[in-house]
Amino acid sequence: MKTYIAQRLAIAVLTLLGMSIVIFALLRLAPGDIVDILFSTAGYVSPAEKQALMKELGIDRPYWAQYLDWLRQIVTGDLGKSYRYDLPAWPIIRPLLPVTLELAALSMVFAILLGVPTGVVSAVRQDSPLDYVLRVVSLAGLSMPAFWLGMVIILGLVTWFRWIPPLTYVSPTESLKLHAVQFLLPALAVGYRSSALIMRITRSSLLEVLREDYIRTARAKGQSGPVVVWRHALKNAMLPVVTVIGIEFAFLIGGLVVTETVFNLPGVARFLVQAILWRDYPVVQNLVMFIAIVVILSNLLVDMLYGVLDPRVRYGS
Amino acid sequence: MTRQRTAALGFFLVLLTLVLAPPATSQAPQASQTPKSGGVLNMMLREDLAQGFAIHETATISTVWPAMPCLNNLVLFDPLKKTESEDTIIGELAEKWSWQDNRRNLVFFLRKGVKWHDDQPFTSKDVKFTFDMLREAADAPAKLRINPRKDWYANIEAVETPDAHTVAFRLKKPQPSLLLMLASGYTPVYAAHVPPASYRTGCVGTGPFKLKEWRKGEFVELVKNPDYFVKGRPYLDGLKYFPIVERGTRQAALQAGKLDVSFPGETTKTAAEQLKNAVPQLVVTPYNQNVSDNIIMNVKKPPFDNPKVRLAVSHAIDRRALVGAVHQGGAVVGAALAPKPWGFWGLGEKDLLGLPGYAAKPADEKAKAKKLMAEVGYSPEKPLKVEIVTRAIAIYVDMASFVINELKQVGIDAALKQIETAQWHAMATRGDYQIGANLTGIGPDDPDANFFENYACGSPRNYSQYCSEEVMKMIDAQSQELDPKKRLGMVYAIQKKLEADAARPILDWKLDYFTVWPHVKNLIPHQSIYNFGRMQEVWIDK
Repeated sequence: MKTYIAQRLAIAVLTLLGMSIVIFALLRLAPGDIVDILFSTAGYVSPAEKQALMKELGIDRPYWAQYLDWLRQIVTGDLGKSYRYDLPAWPIIRPLLPVTLELAALSMVFAILLGVPTGVVSAVRQDSPLDYVLRVVSLAGLSMPAFWLGMVIILGLVTWFRWIPPLTYVSPTESLKLHAVQFLLPALAVGYRSSALIMRITRSSLLEVLREDYIRTARAKGQSGPVVVWRHALKNAMLPVVTVIGIEFAFLIGGLVVTETVFNLPGVARFLVQAILWRDYPVVQNLVMFIAIVVILSNLLVDMLYGVLDPRVRYGS
Repeated sequence: MTRQRTAALGFFLVLLTLVLAPPATSQAPQASQTPKSGGVLNMMLREDLAQGFAIHETATISTVWPAMPCLNNLVLFDPLKKTESEDTIIGELAEKWSWQDNRRNLVFFLRKGVKWHDDQPFTSKDVKFTFDMLREAADAPAKLRINPRKDWYANIEAVETPDAHTVAFRLKKPQPSLLLMLASGYTPVYAAHVPPASYRTGCVGTGPFKLKEWRKGEFVELVKNPDYFVKGRPYLDGLKYFPIVERGTRQAALQAGKLDVSFPGETTKTAAEQLKNAVPQLVVTPYNQNVSDNIIMNVKKPPFDNPKVRLAVSHAIDRRALVGAVHQGGAVVGAALAPKPWGFWGLGEKDLLGLPGYAAKPADEKAKAKKLMAEVGYSPEKPLKVEIVTRAIAIYVDMASFVINELKQVGIDAALKQIETAQWHAMATRGDYQIGANLTGIGPDDPDANFFENYACGSPRNYSQYCSEEVMKMIDAQSQELDPKKRLGMVYAIQKKLEADAARPILDWKLDYFTVWPHVKNLIPHQSIYNFGRMQEVWIDK
């Protein structure tokens, strides 16, 4: 197992290096740069002043020099300076990270807590009215974009209660209740979609397992229905579910952009969009690298979980 | 200049002012109710501060609105009066001012005892520092990396400081408008003892509020300046600005009472109606954004180097239909300057009727456009194919789509090309387009600020690259005219000429429906979104 993890980590470093090249190249391929944006806010362009500003920001240098500079900064833990804010990037990014991670984790917990049990119930009661209701609910979840649901929640709250969640981040030490409300609503909006997917995968996977011989044997031996389902069937049906959860979590980090925007949460995802619009290279590069690291780590975690869930899957042996 | 000569000039100027000129005086504006002190006003921003508090390096309300309370001008349009004119200017850092030498010198007598937020004294040095930097004087001690309003100060020959509390602006030629431009929210005085770049990350001002915290992308908090030079002001304990990118969330926050005020220039007529229906007690005030929808045509490139084609475009677009269809009535028809009562200088309905595109019967205008197009060999059956550019922002695209439909009816087949914001101004300044659907915002409602910026030969914001010697002479002449009535007539004539030449056909002037909760007092929208954000007089009746 240790060898496997070491191998995966080594591959992860190479993947991140590849990612860094892709991120760097894509950003430079996007039309315009920070200097164009700055002049845009001023409503005019002066070629001489533009050149001076490019020099000041260091974006007049060859691309390879800029890239190497960025790698050096990552290695030394210096994330450079935000072009937009004229301040070091790290102190700006740092407070955003826990917000997004907490929201992603809560959304995932919500999705699992809702998706797995409903998937199980739906499979066990296959083709019953309850199954149909749950399938419609999950289809609705898949059909509704998270931002739309988020906006509906906001509009519902403001229309019926003339209330909306706080406009700025409330830390748990400040007010646990407000903090919970601030995160639960967007987590609900995001988690509902993911729960729908998890529910459908759980249902189909479980249905397949429930038709296996060993399930029939367990029932023939007189084991109760819940024991057969929860102890024997579900564990074996979880492999595809875990895979989907891993992929969903990875997508979630990037997919939180709109939800954070709708709920005005100061997280990485919303900030990233603004940074892209401003062509704030240092901020964008480092935030995308952060997302890449989260994706790689979540994939690694999923692979490790395979081994835990299925005794046949053993690594390094 | 020696110290003796400087002192002599100062004495002479003071004497001259006292003897000849009835000085305008600064005064705390009179409020209609007895104001209460205390409370924090919560406001929205549509995005985080574009360049921090560096007003001099931007031309966007996203900077001006939250930065204005931290800073002061020499003079300012009275926050309690809707109209912006020379008569409504009050003193801020200048206690008095005086035009001298047939308006060739503008002398300001500064307040004494004013302190910057870092406790340094404010003096005439700060004023000289600011305006030498803005006009890029040869011996300016600092330079802005972006200087969007350099042209406003092109007529200033020198800024002299005979003593610590007197500043004289020596002009190359008379320019009554200078005072109005100095009264704009775009013209604060920077501190000479801090680098101009520091305003991008913080704010050392003399204003009624001090910066407490700017949490990037989350909020900007300002607190009352207890040492503010106007006694008893500000009324509020603080201001808090929240950047909310999503329009629906902004509206919900206002509706829920989490915010007290809408963002200038962001509330359409439809949005205001929705808000009012949801919360009837909200107070909605329509006012001029001082932003026009207009058509830019590159006069240096075919086919719009042909005046007939340009005129055909202007005739083809039914302005009134645009106001109804795109803005749901939330705009008004006007020429190069906003019409009364939304502005002071614009042509009235009667004068507009005779100009291309403004006739009461759109069919007549379309017929004229078709005739012009036929003269250059095109018709709806054999259309002229062009590419129309616009910014990839909904308000631009909506307007462009309407224009495309209008042009099609007269034989111009325009394909829409959306340009990202990052490239828009660079493209327009380079003249790398044929025709474009554009929006133009003007700082103060003033002919000089508008004409020199958007129509003068060689101005980087003259995107059409229209250049007429005759018009330049007219612009210069009105700029120097001291008789207000005569000047108004000259400004009318310039507007008619610009429309007749289809220099940059103006389609409409957009209105904003500024929405506040009834407990917000003394926050009065002006004729321009850029000039009423000081918050010194605002109080909360709760």
